[in-house]
This record gives sequence, C-alpha cells and structure tokens, in this order.
Amino acid sequence: MAGTRRAQTFAEVLRVLPTASSAGVYWRARAAMLPSIDDLDAFQAAFLEFFGAIDDADALRRLVRTVDAPPRPAPNAPKRETIPPPPSDRPAGPELADKAPILWIAASSQDRLSDKAFEDLDEAERAAMMRLIERVRTAAELRASRRRRADQHGDRFDFRRTLQSAARTAGELARRRTTRRRLRLRPVAFVLDVSGSMTPFARALVQYARVTAAARPAVSAFAFATRLTDLTPLLKRAGDDRLMSAIAQTVRDYGGGTRIGAALRTFNDRYAVRGAARGGTVVILSDGWEREDPALVGAEMARLRRLTRRIVWVNPHKRHAAYEPLARGMAAALPYLDAFLSGHNLRTLEAVADAIEGRLG
Amino acid sequence: MPQPVDVDDLRQGLLGVGYVADAGLATALACGVSLGRAILLEGDAGVGKTDAARALAAVFGAQLLRLQCYEGLDLAAAAYDWNYGKQLLAIRTAEASERPGADEARRIPDLYGDEFLIRRPLLAALGATRERGIVLLIDEIDRADDEFEAFLLEFLADFAISIPERGTIAATHPPIVVLTSNRTRDLHDALKRRCFYHWIGHPTVEREIEIIRLHLPDVAPELAGDVARAAANLRERGLRKAPGIAESLDWTQTLGLLGARRLETEVFEPSLGSVLKYPEDIDLARASAAAIVAAARGPSTGSG
Ligand SMILES: Nc1ncnc2c1ncn2[C@@H]1O[C@H](COP(=O)(O)OP(=O)(O)OP(=O)(O)O)[C@@H](O)[C@H]1O
Ligand SMILES: [Mg+2]
Repeated sequence: MAGTRRAQTFAEVLRVLPTASSAGVYWRARAAMLPSIDDLDAFQAAFLEFFGAIDDADALRRLVRTVDAPPRPAPNAPKRETIPPPPSDRPAGPELADKAPILWIAASSQDRLSDKAFEDLDEAERAAMMRLIERVRTAAELRASRRRRADQHGDRFDFRRTLQSAARTAGELARRRTTRRRLRLRPVAFVLDVSGSMTPFARALVQYARVTAAARPAVSAFAFATRLTDLTPLLKRAGDDRLMSAIAQTVRDYGGGTRIGAALRTFNDRYAVRGAARGGTVVILSDGWEREDPALVGAEMARLRRLTRRIVWVNPHKRHAAYEPLARGMAAALPYLDAFLSGHNLRTLEAVADAIEGRLG
Repeated sequence: MPQPVDVDDLRQGLLGVGYVADAGLATALACGVSLGRAILLEGDAGVGKTDAARALAAVFGAQLLRLQCYEGLDLAAAAYDWNYGKQLLAIRTAEASERPGADEARRIPDLYGDEFLIRRPLLAALGATRERGIVLLIDEIDRADDEFEAFLLEFLADFAISIPERGTIAATHPPIVVLTSNRTRDLHDALKRRCFYHWIGHPTVEREIEIIRLHLPDVAPELAGDVARAAANLRERGLRKAPGIAESLDWTQTLGLLGARRLETEVFEPSLGSVLKYPEDIDLARASAAAIVAAARGPSTGSG
C-alpha cells in the first residue's frame, strides 16, 4: 500500500507541477518515490526500464548518469547503526516474511471506500471494507519492523510496478511487492467501546483485530459498554457473524450507557496485570463519554500506562474539525496517550495501523 | 490548497537569498511547497541541509522556526509547556489581594490562559497567517527517539496539537515543514511516506565554486576554484570527517587571511586546521599535500 501511495504522490506532482523535460520527470519521480538514497540503484533501473519504453532510452540513460553524478553517500559515510531489538519479555514470534503476500489493490473501488466513514457503509460496502481492512493490517505490519533480513532481494519497493501504477493515474491496479522483514511481534490488545454510536467503528476495529490475530500471537480483544467482555476466544475461531453477535450481546446484556473507567479497571485487573499488553500496544476505541466519574478513567489510564508500552486511542469523533476532547472521560485519558487518532474510515485506519506498529522493533 | 511554485522560479529565488540549489533539491522543495507536504533532506554533515530551510523561509518571507532534535526530546520541549513559575506567581498574587467579600470567580486566575502557555516550535508553527507563512525546520530528526517520531507523524497528518487543558489547537495555514537527517538511523517508513525526499550530496566543483563566491564575493575566483577542487579531492580520501561546505568556506577565508590568491604548498599545511577537524585526517592530508595541491590547481589552470 505504501508503494501505491508513493505512486499517487508522483501522479499528483505531475498534475500540479507539469513538466515536458525528461530531467523534470526524473526529479519529480525521485522526490516522490525514492524512500532513501540506499534505494537509488533500484529506482534508476526501474525508471529506465519504465520510461525507456516510451522515451529515447539512450538519452534517458545519459540523463540518469549525469544527474546522478554527485548524490551518493561518501564512501566513508557513517554506517547506519543497526537498531537494537527492543527489550522483550517474550521470544520473537514466528516469521511472517515468507507469508508476505503480493498486494493487489483495486485502486478505483478502494478510493471510493477509503474516505467513507464506517458508519455510512451499506452491507456490500461493508463486506468489501472488511477485505480491505485485512490489507491495512498486512501492510502496516510489513512496514513495521526495521530489522531487515540478510536477504538483499526481498526488501524495498518494486519501483517498476509502482511507476506503472503511477502512470495510469486512473489506476485499476497498483501493486507493491512487499518487503521481507523479520518481525518482532509484541502483544496487541483492543479494548472497544461498543455502545451506541460506536458500534460501526467497533466492528471495523474488531475485524482488524481478527485479521491481526490470524497473523500474530498475543492479540486480544475486548468489548465494553457498561462492562467488559473478552472477545479473544472468538477472534481465531469464529467467523465474522459470531463476533458481531458477541458484540451485540455485550451491549444487550448490560444495558445502555458507557462506563469507560470501570471497563478499564476490569481490563487492568484481569488482563493487563497478567501481561495481556506488557511491552505491547493497547488500542482503545471510544468517544470518551463517561457516564460516571471521569477521575476513575484517569486513574485507570495511569495504571495502564505502567502496564504497557504504548496506548493508542481511537476516537471517530476526532474527525469533526470542531471536536475538542470535551468529553470528560476523554480529557482525563489524554495525558496518557501515545497516539490519539480518528480511525473512522479506511484511510485513517491506516494511521491506526501505523500507530500500533509504531513501537515494534 | 497551497500555491504551486515553479521549480526554476524557486531555484532563482533561493539563489537570490544566497543558496545554490541544484535541480534535484529545487524540485523536492517545490514539490513539498506546492503539495503542502513535508520535505525530508538527508546528507552528510555540512552539505547545506539546515541552510536550505533558512533559504526557503527567506524566499517566501516566512518565519523560520527551528526544532533541534536530540535524544529524549519530549513534548514539553517540542510542542508546549506551562509556565509553572508564572502560574504560581498568579496564584500567590490572587491570594495576597484576596479581600473578604470579593467574589470567588475573580479571585481564581485562569491558570491555563494564553499568558501561561509556552509555545515551543511545533505549537508555534500552527500560528502561520495568510500574510506571514512559517517554515518549520525539524533538524536532525534521526536524533530524536521513536516516540517523538510517532507524535510527529500525527502532527504532520493533522497540523493540530491537543492540549488537555485547552482542547485542540489547529493550524489555519499549515506551515512548510522541512525535516533533516544525518542518517544515524533509519526513519519510520510511515514518516518517510509523508515526505518528499532528497539526498543532498556533496556539491560538484562548479556548484561549490558558485557557493564560495556567493558567500565570499571578495575572494579571488582562482582561489575559490582551488579550494573547491581540493575539497573534492579530500572527500575522496576516506577521511574520518570529510569537509562540508562550511569547511570549504572557512578554508577559503583562512587562505584569504593568509594573503593567498591560489592554493600554494606554503599555505596548504598551515591552513589545514580550518578544513579538517581530526588530527589523523590532517596527518593524512599532510602526507599527500603535493598531490592535493596539484589536483587543486586543476588540469586546465596549469601549475604556474
Ligand atoms: N547550496 C548552498 N548554497 C549556499 N550556501 C550553502 C549551501 N550549502 C551549504 N551552504 C553553507 O554551508 C554551511 C553549512 O551548511 P548547513 O549548516 O546547512 O549544513 P548541514 O547539512 O545542515 O550540516 P549539519 O549536518 O552539520 O547540520 C552554511 O554556512 C551554509 O550557508
Ligand atoms: Mg544542520
């Protein structure tokens, strides 16, 4: 997905800053799509291969050679430090590298869906969305780890395909050959407010939790309204419907209203202290409207802070420009967050995915 | 939507404020400005990363806000802080002037008012106006740690900062953001994807001459050429710290002070301290003095 995004950027640049010269195209492509000087060779090769077919190949080759005169790291350039693996209290999870899929993304249908709020989706769209969410997970995970395998070939973007997709701005297909990375997997716990208006967003996130759980260990999920229900056993076994009805049940069992503080206390007491999120990430979905004392929310957030490495709060109402975290529960929670995100549609869900993976070694 | 800026216009503009940009750098900067996206500049020390942001601000008559990153940089230093001393003083003052019968509301000052808020670069960068833009330079981002990078990611997505005591403060006119990195570590992919990227290499001899003459117009053109060629030669020698443009400028100036009009063997050694920073590098250069001076005098200029 990252490759697609770069390609889109390039297409946008060509629209905003049109150019007729080969050098102009080259530098625009490079500014938009080269992720690092280390990838220059792959980029040059792809550029030549792709544009060589539509332009004078020799001229292009000369161009690439001349524009490339100085911009290389000096031979004595400082070696990159290898980033030390973060301390972990559990062994690294299984390697996902070999499962790394080739992503085919139907750009046209995805674009339409990407910006639509989860609550506005119809049934068919929701089904399509659930499939797209899967890719968000995969893409985020794959870009998560900075520890590269010794394998020289698998990593990095496939520029040729990226360029192709850029050229077809209308883009039926964009493809990114994904990276091969050794992933260190830390636990992730989803704590989802399923009361009232939160339900459509909770569905999207629980789907996200489900595909996450399929791919890595130590994923747990919880639903809460006035009380907390553990969805974890359902994540791996059940289909979509069983999960959704469990969510519905959570709401029905315990009646209306939201008790964030109480739910967090249960989560901390029963799960977090036992390591459900130790050294990992807790993702909380809620609009922050607390029926009871917001002080409890603050106190439990402070506890959670000590029990985990990273707290991501997803509040779909954050997208409304005028939204300020006036909900008292939200205000109490804010000081403890590493990330406060909207996550109301696929595009912003990508940001959530990045935030979750943000701390993975 | 930001106004598109033409690449060549920008290049001219930068030259006008004392910065020589090549096509690649001018393109990356123009892309960032035109699409309202951050620009990530990487390169060795002294190649002009920081100065590029300074020049960009000058071209647009924008205010330059610089955030120097370091390990442990936190939000209190990067975004905002409360002036605790002043808050305390306000409370004391209120207590001291407390009179019986004065009504409650008047006695308690608003401790989270504007006058107590310390705006650090990220928060200050949200204050651009139509009349006065802002260039936010986040210098040496590779030195900050992951947490800050994650925060920055959000900041770049929203151009807003939420302050628990105040709510969310959002930019009406987003700043132009320039990030620099010396590549001591990899940046997060998610951050890189939000930026246009340019690697600033060491300058070509021609560009370095141009830069030297722009900074030091009184210097003999031959001397500028000699220094640029010698610097290029030194950079090929695998030194511990290859000279950057700042060093070339210092060197030229030192040579000028020594009264040199060309890079001669007699001035080469005594001036080496202005261009090389490590004793072992100086030793290395001294051992090859003749070759470097010959290369500096250039094939076309002869040796006379
Ligand atoms: N292209 C240029 N045009 C004009 N002056 C330049 C150019 N590049 C560098 N300089 C000058 O060289 C000096 C060093 O540049 P600068 O401090 O921007 O380097 P840097 O890449 O930020 O280095 P560091 O990594 O050490 O921070 C400055 O005095 C600047 O004015
Ligand atoms: Mg600098």
